[in-house]
Amino acid sequence: MRAASLAILAILCLATPAGAHSPVPGIEGFYLGLLHPISTPAQALLMLGLGLLTGGLAKASARWLLIAFFVATGAGLLWTSGAVPDMAAFAVATLASTLAALAAGRYFPAMAALVVLGGLVVGAMSVPEGGLLRERLITMAGSFIGANLLLLYISGLVIIVKERASRAWIPIALRVAAAWVAAISAMMLAIYFAPNPSVASL
Amino acid sequence: MRSKTFICMTLLVVFSFIISEPALAHSGGGYGGGFISGFVHPILGWDHVAAMVAVGLWGAFLGAPSIWVLPVVFPIVMAFGAILGILGVPVPAVETGIALSAVVLGLMIAFAVKAPIWMSAVLVGLFAIFHGYAHGTELPASANIFAYAVGFVIATGMLHMIGIAFGLLVKWPAGRVAVRSAGGAISLAGVAFLVGAV
Repeated sequence: MRAASLAILAILCLATPAGAHSPVPGIEGFYLGLLHPISTPAQALLMLGLGLLTGGLAKASARWLLIAFFVATGAGLLWTSGAVPDMAAFAVATLASTLAALAAGRYFPAMAALVVLGGLVVGAMSVPEGGLLRERLITMAGSFIGANLLLLYISGLVIIVKERASRAWIPIALRVAAAWVAAISAMMLAIYFAPNPSVASL
Repeated sequence: MRSKTFICMTLLVVFSFIISEPALAHSGGGYGGGFISGFVHPILGWDHVAAMVAVGLWGAFLGAPSIWVLPVVFPIVMAFGAILGILGVPVPAVETGIALSAVVLGLMIAFAVKAPIWMSAVLVGLFAIFHGYAHGTELPASANIFAYAVGFVIATGMLHMIGIAFGLLVKWPAGRVAVRSAGGAISLAGVAFLVGAV
């Protein structure tokens, strides 16, 4: 314990201030990757949808989905075929949150498929477009940890709230929240197909 | 001493309201403008308000599982309606459909109709298409679309919650009368929207 504390103290003492620029001022490299899963509405909605979907299960079953997401985000980070459009994230977010709203905790194979698909999309969206390999790997490591921690926290929070609070309205509120996420994601997805150029450009 | 402080504070707040002037320089763009645009859209349309509150009231009146099924079905189908509006798919008689939603849902509450769960979900879903379509076609081009969608979905949900909270009064005999009367009032308002009086 003392050794760990000393190691952390040493790291803190050795750390130097970050000086380079990044798309988010003051945040770069690993931390930029860490925040990447909530950097765009598409990814934030996808993570929320997957969290509500996974949280619909009991603790024992949810861990399998978390493992599947862990593997899928890793696989997604190997994506090399260019940028993945937000449309993909909105589509998976719509399906995942609709399932969470209408059939919370049911249809495990469909849930697993959506979590894997979501993990692949989040991973593929987190691949940096350019830069040195070392910096890209550090950012990707941040994204990998950020996405998995975020899903763990959202689904964990949902499960804890469900299990510990016995109020009848809590499962209802979670389903309603999932329905809201589904509604927003579906609308955002529709924008890509809008024939009206003023709307499509949004 | 405490009441004197309270009076002073009240006077200060009232004075602030009196001397304040309206803000005129906002464009409605960005996340904040988009959210406000979307949030006030269902609230400023009385026909929307009446129908959304009626959904919550009827759900509470029917009890479980309708109390959660209707507020879950409504936003999902409403999004489908909004998609039709965004894609430019023609839907006939949208305003009539919205007005009819207040009339029919109000009548269901006023006459305490205990419809089966599937029937209530289908009915509410059908009307949700008209409401969503109106939101989809009236999308402001200057607003941030994501913030607009978040705003109008949250406002819709809050109106449902107001309906549910009021509908929970059905546990008491006097509350039951109040809820059924509210249903009657919503239905009458719907008739007024239908004939274009409001």
